Order: sequence, then C-alpha cells, then structure tokens
Amino acid sequence: MNSHVESTARPMRARAAVAALALAIFFPACRAGSPAPVFPPGAQVLHLASLDDIPTLDPAAGYDVDSWMFEQMIFDTLIRYSDSGVDLVPDIAASWTASPDSTVFTFHLRRGVRFSNGRAVASADFKYAIERVLDPKTRSKGMEYYRGIVGAADFVAGRAKSVAGIETPDPWTIVFRLSAPDPIFPHKLAMPFAAAVPREVVARYGEDFSRHVVGSGPFMLRQWIGGQRIVLVRNPDYFVKGVPRLDGVVEAIGVNEDLQWFRFETGAIDLSAIPPAVFPYVIKTPRLKALTMRIVTMTTRYLGMNCQMPPFTDVRVRRAMNYAIDKRKLVAVINGRGIPANGVLPPSLPGYDPDLRGYPYDPARARALLEQAGYPHGFTATVWLPADQTMMVLAQSVQQDLALVGVQLKLKPVGFAPLLDAIRQPNTVPLFFSGWEADFPDPANFLDVLLSRAQWGANNDSWFYDPRFDALLAQAKPLADPVRRFALYRQAQRIAVADAPWVFLYFPVTWQIRQPWVHGLALNPMRPTRLDRVWLSPHPKPQ
Amino acid sequence: MKPRLNFMETAGAVMVLGLAVVAIFAPLLAPHDPARAVAASFGDPWPPSRAFPLGADQLGRDVLSRIIYGARISLIVGVAAMAITLAIGVAIGLAAGFLGGAVDSLLMRFTDVMLTMPALLLAMALVTVLQPGLLTVLLVIGLVSWTQVARVVRAEALSISRRDFVLAARALGATRTRLIVRHVAPNVMPIIVVMAALGVSGTLLLDAGLSFLTLGVPPPTPSWGRMIEESTAYFRTAPWLAIFPGLAILYAVMGFNLLGHGYLRRRRRDASTR
Repeated sequence: MNSHVESTARPMRARAAVAALALAIFFPACRAGSPAPVFPPGAQVLHLASLDDIPTLDPAAGYDVDSWMFEQMIFDTLIRYSDSGVDLVPDIAASWTASPDSTVFTFHLRRGVRFSNGRAVASADFKYAIERVLDPKTRSKGMEYYRGIVGAADFVAGRAKSVAGIETPDPWTIVFRLSAPDPIFPHKLAMPFAAAVPREVVARYGEDFSRHVVGSGPFMLRQWIGGQRIVLVRNPDYFVKGVPRLDGVVEAIGVNEDLQWFRFETGAIDLSAIPPAVFPYVIKTPRLKALTMRIVTMTTRYLGMNCQMPPFTDVRVRRAMNYAIDKRKLVAVINGRGIPANGVLPPSLPGYDPDLRGYPYDPARARALLEQAGYPHGFTATVWLPADQTMMVLAQSVQQDLALVGVQLKLKPVGFAPLLDAIRQPNTVPLFFSGWEADFPDPANFLDVLLSRAQWGANNDSWFYDPRFDALLAQAKPLADPVRRFALYRQAQRIAVADAPWVFLYFPVTWQIRQPWVHGLALNPMRPTRLDRVWLSPHPKPQ
Repeated sequence: MKPRLNFMETAGAVMVLGLAVVAIFAPLLAPHDPARAVAASFGDPWPPSRAFPLGADQLGRDVLSRIIYGARISLIVGVAAMAITLAIGVAIGLAAGFLGGAVDSLLMRFTDVMLTMPALLLAMALVTVLQPGLLTVLLVIGLVSWTQVARVVRAEALSISRRDFVLAARALGATRTRLIVRHVAPNVMPIIVVMAALGVSGTLLLDAGLSFLTLGVPPPTPSWGRMIEESTAYFRTAPWLAIFPGLAILYAVMGFNLLGHGYLRRRRRDASTR
C-alpha cells in the first residue's frame, strides 16, 4: 500500500478523522451517554492510544495499518503470518496444498471453529468473503488481488452468480482455481480482505457491518465511539486454547504523538510510538532504551523522477540526483530510524540483494554527470510532497544537498490524496516524495507494482519503462521455486537501479516502546502487531 | 517649531532602525549560511553554545544566522505589504469619502463584506489558490488588510471634503482631481502615517501566522514564523528553537508599535496645544 512518512504513515486516516469530527458535531449526545466498559479488578487490559479514529473494521473495506491492526484481532483468515515473521502459518486452515503449476490451491479447515455469535465457520464463509470483495457494489480496494481466480471476471461483470473457480465440496474444504500460475496466491489469502465473515450478520447490517462486526478471532468488539475510544474484549470461544491472554484492549482515540508520550510516562498507556523530539533522550537513557523494540519494516522511501519529463528523461541526470543526495544525513535527520537504501527492495524482504551497491553520496560525480548531460549550472525543479512536518524537514535536507550541485529545488507541499491523483496524470509531476509498504513479502509486490509498464497511470508513478526489465518480470512471475524466482528479480532490480527512475532514499525502521510489565509482544516487519499472546505482569494502576 | 520626538517614538525608531541594519547587512552579520547544514545536529538539535550562540536546529542549521536572515523577509513583508495595503485602502477610502453618494455606498458595502471574512482565513484561501512565494504573501496580506485603512480614510476624507477650504477651492473652480490630490489627500496624510506604522506590526504578525501554517515564503528562505513551526515537535526538548524566533517577532512588532503609538501621541498633544 502507498505510504508516505513514518510518523504519519497512514494515508487513509485523514478522511476518517473528518468523518469522526462530523459525527462528534452531529451526535454529541451519543458520546456523553456511553461510559467506558468496566473490567473486573485484576483483569488484564492493555491500554493504547492513537491520534485518529480507526477507518473501518470491515475486512472488505480496510486497507491501512490501523484498520488491519483491529481486523486481524477480530477476524481469522485461512492462513496468516507468524507473529514476528512473514512465513505463512495455519489459521483456520489446518493444512493446504498447491498444484505443481501453481494454479490450484486446496485448503483444509479446522473443525469446531465458531464465529462469536456461535455459528460454526465453514468453507462457504470464505467463498462469500472473497465474492463480497469482488462484488463491484462493495467497492473494495482488495478486488485486484482476487481477479486471477477462474470465473472472477464473469462474477465482477454480473454474468455469474458466484465465482466458478472457488469450490466448496464440503464445509471443511475450499479449492481455488486460477486462470494463470500465481505462486504467491496464498499470500493474498493471508490479507484481511479474505477473512471469514458471517453472511447473516453482513446481511442484517449492510454498510453498517463495520460497527457491528462479528468474527471468529481472538477478540470481539465491545464498544467503539467515534473519535473517543474503541474497546475489544477476549473471545472466550477462540479456537486456540489459552489465547488470548489479555481480557481486553482499550484504545483511546484523539491522542497525538506527544500526548501519547506523556501518557506513556505516567503509565496510563502500555505501548507508545516515540516522538522524534524525545527519541534521542530515550536512546541515551538505559532504563528507557531497554524498553524499546525495533524492526526493519518492508517499506521503501524514494524520491521519484518522472522519466517522461525533461530533464529526467536523461539517465545521467537521474544518476546525478542519486549521487547528489546524502542518504546518511537524511537518516540522521529522522533520528537514525532508517537504513540508507541501495535499491528498490528493503532488507527484510525475501529476495533482497545484499551485494547491490546502489549510489554512494558523491557530489563531485553528480556535478560531472550533470555537465555531461548538458546542465553544467544545474537546473530548477519542483518537487511535490505530502504536506507534513516530517516530510518538509526531509525535503529541506534534500534541497540543501541538491543546491550544492546547482539543482535548485522548489517545494510543493500538497495533501496526500491530491498528490496521488496528480502523480497518476502523465507529464504533471516531475519530482515527488513517495513510499511503498509491502502487501505481501515478494519482490513482485515492489517491482511489478511500482515499475512495470502495465502500471503506467496507476502505481508506476515515475513512468518508468525498460523492456528488458519487463521481460524479466514476466519470466519470474509464474516461478514457484524461490531460488530461480529471486535470481530473476535481483537481475531486474539491478536494471532498475542502473536506470535510476528514483533516488533510492532509505528503508524505514519502526521503533516502539512498551512498559516493563508488557510481555509476549512481537513486532512484525509487514503487518501490525498481534496482541493475542501478550500478557501483563502486576503493575501499579495509574489514576 | 522643530518636532521633538517623545520617548516611545525614539525607542521605536531605534528598534526599527536596528532591524533594518540587521536585514541590510545580514550577509556580514550572520556567522553562517542560513540554509546550509553547518552543525552535525541532525535529528537532535544542539543547545546554545559558543560556536552556535542560539543553538543549531534538527537540520544542522545555525539558528542565529537564520534569525538574522529572517529579518529580511520580515522587514520586506512588513513594509511592502503595508504599502500595498495603503495603496488599496487609501484609493478606496478617498474615492468613497470624497465622491460620496452611490460610489460611497457601493465601495463601503464591499468593504463591509470583506470585513466579515477573518483575515487569516481569507489569506489562507488565497495562498492556497496562488503559487506560494514572496510576491504572493505580499499581495495576499495587502488584499486582506486594506479594509480598516479604507474605512478610516473615508471618514477622514468625508469630514475634510466639507471643510471651508475645500469648499473655497471648489468655488474657485478647482477640478475634482485637483481637489483630491491638493486639498483632501494631504490632510488625510497624518492619519495614514499612523495607520501605516501601526499596521506594519499587524502585517508582520499575519506573515508570521502564514509562515507558521507553512503558507508563507517557502524554504530555503528562512522566516521566523516557519522556524517556530518547524520546532513544534521540539518544544519540550529544544525550546530555544522556538523561543528565539518568537523573541525576534516580538522585537519587530514592538518596534513598529512603539513608533506608531509614539507618533499618534505626539500628534494628539500637538493638536491639543495648538
């Protein structure tokens, strides 16, 4: 998914905040009349805080970090990622098989898994969930991932009542048939889009399902007051015995990063992000540093150059830009919470190329390249970026570096949504700051999505095209053998790095801090943290 | 009689003069380039020290140098935006006050409509529509702050145009243009001077507000308002990043205010002793 910056890497949030505000204005009475649920003394309750409201809890609708964090607590998929890794492990499916050509996938479900309304989960619930995502009326952003299933096109067009390629021979078996080989299809079933949802509850609430979610996951929704708080409680009938260990999770909404830190210091919340200003202090204080957790996420940040707009049509100019920008300084500006990028693929991604050298900081070489390209005195360019404080500071660091090689940068801060729209118009945005977070752990999710000719006007925001690159992607796509597959993707990445459609900036590192009484927490490089195995040791209760 | 400056005026003049000197000689006074990284304080601002008397910000820039260069933007915006404000306000005010009738009603209702819109909100909307830059900031501040000037000038022009000497000039056959330029305008002048001196502090604050909302002069040009905005994340850990530009704004606003109020006071006293 698209992402822009660490402190606010949540593109979907702004709209939700506006909606929450509107609700707060029009229905003030609802807020006053709903006290927080009371937990019995000694209950294990994890307290969190966040600035913006959760956009949605409906698995068909959510496509952002915050929605997914709560969706994966309430719902189950056939298979999921392990707590701290990106290896697929059983969830409701106890086992699964793939045909050698990666076109047929068969999943065998556990027996005795129930939705929290008491009904048993069956294979038809998964079929229904995916058909719901594919239904154009749902307007789900997850639609793209399931178009490769046989009969999906007919279903989307309204020519079929169900998707022919999803078969449910019995309540505990589900078979997916694909129209073309896709070895990474199981990853698409591990996205919350494919979580089992009870048809009868969706039918009852319709669009309002998000507020009345019923799933089979470790937690259940107890209370959700827009702009104020969301409360989840333990699902006593969860199919994994002894899980979750927590009795509840309470997230206060409307708490900005700095306030979160205050509340963390007083012990009122158990987990917190670390605001940039206090980060150096936390690192210098051994007591606090011991409570931090860090993970290199599967995210890449880049300065995109429109390869169809002069002067960036010239590969020498694009390489010069790469040599001119000091990535180490950039990382220092964000408190070292990143790794200078050597290419497109982040180090935590399977298929990462550790031998790729990338572009070191070398302003002299940048000047020489600019001179060769016919810009001995540099040029002036406008860079578009999300209007965000951290982004503006990063942009000014880049502006300083480029001024040293004669490139004068004008900054054009705009809203995130208009920025995405503008980038997708041809010949509109010459330079822009952007980023990408993996949807699944495979190089295709970066290389195919961001740099192939087929994505012009969609996610190929630098309007890059190299036939050799596209040919390698086509060769790699159907291969299930990771060795051969990754070798081809590495080759493709080297072409992309040499062609330099981006200035490869850095791979962000996420830091979190927890209270000393929080145990069993594991950060995941790609998905929000799961809380089902977290437990709390006795600790003082803040007032 | 030679005009004798009172204390307020003297203090204000000295402060404004000081500001002008700093702005004009910024390249000589500033120890460093305000837009370059000169300290290794990336992500972790440095407190004031001998090498960086007002500290260094999270991009390694010297705060003192940025404040010195920021004086340029503040002075240019303060004075130039006030000039635009006066040009619009005086023209509309004189026309309405002198011509009267339908012209007066039309212009004053238009002014009333403009007055209903909060200046900062209107300025934000205009900046968003126009290209960001120094010229935009000047125009926008001029376009949103002329209303007060227009109303005061109109009232003054209205009363002056009914005085005997104007009637006399008219009886002598003076043209309308000549009446405005030679008789009404010079007598409105003192009030314009007061409005200008007091108004500059208003435009300075409006500029700082726009910069704080990241709608002012874009980086790398240093501006005080933006310096404060960029340091909001560091209020608790590096307050000097916000305090020093804040003091600079206070200094400039106070200088122009003292000058304006001092002049006003002297005029009142002169009028009462005349």
